[in-house]
Amino acid sequence: MPSSLRALLCLSCACAAMGGLAACGGEDDSDGSAATGWTAASDDGANSGGTIKTAYTSFPDYLDPALSYTQEGWQSLWTVYTPLLTFKHSEGATVVPGLAEDMPDISADGRTYKLKLRSGLRYSDGSAVKASDFEHAIKRVLNLESGGAPHYAGIVGAEQYIKDGRARADIPGIVANDATGDITIRLTKPDGRFPYILTMVFASLVPSNTPFQNMTKEPPPGVGPYKFDNVRINRGYDLVRVREFDVADQPAGRLDTIKVEVVKNRRRQTQDTIRNKIDYMSDPPAPDQLRDIRAQYTGERYKEFVTNSTYYYFLNHDVVPFNSPEVRQAVNVAVDKRALARLFGGLLETGCNFLPPGMKGYEKIDPCPWGGPTAAPDVERARALIRQAGVEGDSVTVFGNDEPEPRAAAEYLSDVLNEIGLKAKPRIIEASVYFTTIGNQKTKAQAGFANWFQDFPHPGNFFFLVDSETIQPTNNANFGNVNVPELQAIFEKANANADIDEVADDYAKADRVLVDGAHVVPYGHRKLTVFYSNRMNFEDCTVWHPVYALDFTKLCLK
Amino acid sequence: MSIADPSVQPDLSPVLGDRGRAEAAAAAGIGAWAPAVRRLRRNKAALIFGALFFVLVALALAAPLWAQLADTTPARNHLSDTIVVDGRPEQVVTLDGVPISPTWQRKFFLGADSNGRDVAVRLLYGARNSLLIGITASIITVLLAVLLGTLAGYFRGWTDAIISRSLEVMWAFPALLLGVALGVSLALGGLRIGPLEIEGGSKWIPTLIIGVVYVVYLARPIRGRVLSLREKEFVEAARAQGAGPLRIMFSELLPNLASTILVFFPLLVANAILLEAALSFLGAGVQPPEPSWGTMLAEGVVLLSTAPHLTIVPGLMLVLTVLALNVFGDGVRDALDPRAKVRLEH
Repeated sequence: MPSSLRALLCLSCACAAMGGLAACGGEDDSDGSAATGWTAASDDGANSGGTIKTAYTSFPDYLDPALSYTQEGWQSLWTVYTPLLTFKHSEGATVVPGLAEDMPDISADGRTYKLKLRSGLRYSDGSAVKASDFEHAIKRVLNLESGGAPHYAGIVGAEQYIKDGRARADIPGIVANDATGDITIRLTKPDGRFPYILTMVFASLVPSNTPFQNMTKEPPPGVGPYKFDNVRINRGYDLVRVREFDVADQPAGRLDTIKVEVVKNRRRQTQDTIRNKIDYMSDPPAPDQLRDIRAQYTGERYKEFVTNSTYYYFLNHDVVPFNSPEVRQAVNVAVDKRALARLFGGLLETGCNFLPPGMKGYEKIDPCPWGGPTAAPDVERARALIRQAGVEGDSVTVFGNDEPEPRAAAEYLSDVLNEIGLKAKPRIIEASVYFTTIGNQKTKAQAGFANWFQDFPHPGNFFFLVDSETIQPTNNANFGNVNVPELQAIFEKANANADIDEVADDYAKADRVLVDGAHVVPYGHRKLTVFYSNRMNFEDCTVWHPVYALDFTKLCLK
Repeated sequence: MSIADPSVQPDLSPVLGDRGRAEAAAAAGIGAWAPAVRRLRRNKAALIFGALFFVLVALALAAPLWAQLADTTPARNHLSDTIVVDGRPEQVVTLDGVPISPTWQRKFFLGADSNGRDVAVRLLYGARNSLLIGITASIITVLLAVLLGTLAGYFRGWTDAIISRSLEVMWAFPALLLGVALGVSLALGGLRIGPLEIEGGSKWIPTLIIGVVYVVYLARPIRGRVLSLREKEFVEAARAQGAGPLRIMFSELLPNLASTILVFFPLLVANAILLEAALSFLGAGVQPPEPSWGTMLAEGVVLLSTAPHLTIVPGLMLVLTVLALNVFGDGVRDALDPRAKVRLEH
């Protein structure tokens, strides 16, 4: 997921209960407290029912499963729509059947996936779910040129479908039988990541009559524990519990209503949460309030979680001076991870792995070849490497965007490069066009800030950032044009295998090759926060999901 | 910004012009500017704030010396450094990202920012940038305004119509809005007009933007003054002697515009510094790692309650500088023409 602070998390709160237990909700009370509502105790002691108020800094990009590509959007969409495969509602990232009866039956060549739709499923508007709705959902993703479209381009006929531009045309690689519920998907080549791609919200089933247009104003019905209501673009929306939702192994919601409101000012969000006017704030508290929040509320209302993300500096292998291995090594040696941790206000788990700790294939690289997270940088060695490469005084432009942390990180790297003998200056670009700018080969971006939050918990979803096959003239995600034959050999083998456990060691090896070769400068993994009002049941109802962050279905009031 | 009463202009040469008056004053044993200087010296407030402004300029010039003393540069990050304050070691930036407060000692005299940079050093270098841009932009404004105002006022007719209507179009946009719009579009991409090419991120971009944005506010009163001057007897006399338009403009009109320009100049500089700070605050002015009071304010806002010095210090400098220029400018105006009621308004 292309990430920026705007695309971090949005969470909300809900109250706990056993699925199916009803409770009475209510509106905001007159004294301005965040939410009201009767709650009923469930068998496990968690309460059910009630209404809470949550705050997002900005409105999600879309409330349409075919289009949304931010975590704010996904967090709500995951409660409204369920794909054929999904994740278990727990702190792990276990893929489980969603609307499919079972996990897919994968052919020996890894190109054909067979699934069967559960019987008797109904959308939140009461209409029946059909197997062909899956093909319609994928068509919408492709036809609307969604950011998720490239994930499904490997389906046979998908590229032709995009090229033809005819919305109602058939995708030959998807065969659905409404009578039996059988769905067969054929791929052009084996892709071990495909089961995870099927878990993405893009692949959520929507009725076949859903128009080929952005449906954010009036989101289509889905199969999930909640449904959208009262959508007010750029202002907020409600998630209302669907009492009829009953899918085996999928939890029902606990809260009756989750009111999501846009509160642009983080400082105000924090104050309102402290005063219990907001029950949950999705973004980390404002930097100047963080220290107090940590001191006062940790363990009771506040918690930090390490996300499956990676923060790194890219160094363009195709442009001087970073086409020299010595220069890349010098940068790795000179960057002080202790300094970067401070730049992120302590909300960064520093390390030298490219893969995040929560990812399959992660093996902590210790000792770090170019300096550990707690070690001081070896500036003298870096200077010597720069001299050795003969690039002393070379000009470098360090790219960053205008969000506070990327900007500070770019300015920091620029200072480091100046210290080791290069002549660097930062270039700060507006965040909304940052990645497209540095991803355009004409920009010839030499070095800069980059980060990535996972789309799905598969190492391939990180390594595509350094995969030479993804290098392209525009919208290039391999910002450093990393092209290392040893890595490519590993990716070719590992990416084709659907059994992630079998190839975890290969990905761990790729991580080591990437770090040992100083091809990028990884420095940490972002921490995000949960901050509640004192009405929320922090202890029993806080489940941090590695993909969707705070699990709305588990939230409950005290 | 506008002239509160455009009909009342500083007028030091009712009949003879400055040259004629200078000759008369010389005959009387005093210089043409002597009365003005005398009036200015009597205005204690203007002198104090004038002196304050020159102190600020001196501090800005001394920035490299202070940086040397503090053993750093304005862009140097000291994120993981530790310094000794009152005998105790203190982190320049704590693990949760809070920078050190003013130490009142050589290093980090006014504290550090969130990148661990010395605020005092950045403040002084920021002053250099703010003053440099403010003064240079004001000079550009004066040059353009004098050129356009004189042409429009002297030639009148279609020349006046074209210039005045063009200026009115600019007048329709609030200065800040126009500045921000131009700044956002040019600050990073740079400017390329024929042979003139300015790289994105250059300080010339905000300088030119500010210089152009304020032209209209000076060109209009200059045009009005020239319209009045061109009918005076000394201009008629020059014309009768066979002087051409260029000669009349340079020899007769320009000297008589000096008082108007002098009255406006300090106020223009103050406004230019404010606009530069606003542009930099919004990311459309001075680009990192160059410090500016505007960028320092923007960086400090996010840590307003835990590190208030990050906003107070540059904010205070901005207030002091603009106040000094405004009070001094008012003093100059009073000295040059006590009857004039010229003021800049937004």
